Amino acid sequence: MSSPPDDVDLSRAWIGVAAQVWRRQPGRLERAAARLLRSPGLARALLTTPSLLLPWLIASVVVLAAGAAATLGSGQPVTALLAPAVAAAAIAYSYGPGIDPAWELSCSMAVSVRMVLLARALAVFAVNALLGLAASAASAASASGAAAAVTFGWLVPMTAVCAFALAVATVARSANAGAAAGVAAWLIVVLSGQVASGHFTAAVTDPVLFLPYLAIGAGCAAVALYATRIPRGTSR
Amino acid sequence: MNVEIADLTRRFGRSQAVDGVNLQAGPGVFGLLGPNGAGKTTLLRMMATVIPPTTGRLRLLGRDPGAHGPRREVRRRLGYLPQNLGYYPGFTVTEFVEYFALLKEMPAARVPAAVAAAVERVDLGDRARAKLRTLSGGMLRRVGVAQAIVNEPELLLLDEPTAGLDPEQRVRFRALLRELGQQATVVVSTHLVEDVGAACSQVALMDQGKIVFHGTPAELTARGTEQGTGDAPLERGYTAVLAAARSHAVARS
Repeated sequence: MSSPPDDVDLSRAWIGVAAQVWRRQPGRLERAAARLLRSPGLARALLTTPSLLLPWLIASVVVLAAGAAATLGSGQPVTALLAPAVAAAAIAYSYGPGIDPAWELSCSMAVSVRMVLLARALAVFAVNALLGLAASAASAASASGAAAAVTFGWLVPMTAVCAFALAVATVARSANAGAAAGVAAWLIVVLSGQVASGHFTAAVTDPVLFLPYLAIGAGCAAVALYATRIPRGTSR
Repeated sequence: MNVEIADLTRRFGRSQAVDGVNLQAGPGVFGLLGPNGAGKTTLLRMMATVIPPTTGRLRLLGRDPGAHGPRREVRRRLGYLPQNLGYYPGFTVTEFVEYFALLKEMPAARVPAAVAAAVERVDLGDRARAKLRTLSGGMLRRVGVAQAIVNEPELLLLDEPTAGLDPEQRVRFRALLRELGQQATVVVSTHLVEDVGAACSQVALMDQGKIVFHGTPAELTARGTEQGTGDAPLERGYTAVLAAARSHAVARS
């Protein structure tokens, strides 16, 4: 075998080969997300969200399908009671100092952690809302009128519970704490509705509660934004 | 100057981690020495824009990182290796480095070659497709260095970069530092004085949040000729400066 000509930079050539061999081909979804978000980095961060990975999505579908089956069997709108709790857990595991092992490093990146949090939280909420709506729609047709009435009703409480879970997860720097707080809060609201009115569904059917839900959602979103705030000005 | 710091302070509750630091650094390798708890990591975290100063003036690469736009521009041109590098166990070496290259907003077309070059520079080419959970501590440290240099940063901040590296790797890493320092400002926080002696052109010694010495490694060595303890000349300079600073602080109080 002859030696290469002197003017060939072998290390540069190897880097070119290695770049081709090691390069990861983004999937269709990632390319579409990169175009939509106008940021390949944000798209990559979105596609690595723990609560958007296939095992998590499968688990969510199984839980909501069981809820839909229970709704069909009992006539009670179980899906409406399950969806906010499932979404709250997913939101708590979407992003934050408690779920990102490289949080310190992420805080020094040009794509800010707040942007990543926002993109992930919105995506997780949207996916869970769609899954919940599908489960509700599947069960509402043959279930009681009460179940049909709450097909969309749980979206408002779900917003509040998700915002609460996100706020606790970011402030406590723990996804587990956020998920536990979100699920516990929802459980308390549902049980309170049962005690007060005798109906489990009061938590999602009583319009009087919608304004407090929205206020809680807005307040908790503000807390999450404060906990991930951009450092203030440094020049004094 | 790539780093301009004036009267910088940082408090955590009642604790004063950084206390009135003044520092300027241009291209070259700058060593930040000091005992544990001296404030080195806090100073480096402020320079990495991870935390804001409590008071004082900080300019990086000619910009004020306190404002959103300049901070984003600084971050694109910054490399940072934290003391505790968190990692994603399921990522491969190249996936991890690529992820942070994208978060640094490198042009996507340039990323594959930049990732390959960074991985090769830290001698991890043979483990490029290995999952991070299968790597040793020293290898993970080198992955951290690879993500820090992937964007060819103009300001590179390394917190204890040689922790966990074997002697052969440390020698190679010092050569890499000298190479990087020809173009960029490299700030290395360490408590290993031999790393400073071998790789740094300037050194600052921190104690109790203050800079108690700033000069060349040779000047630090010279401070230890008459007093100071240690096996190596630079160690004697280090201990002599620290002892003098502490006795001065006691006398003032």
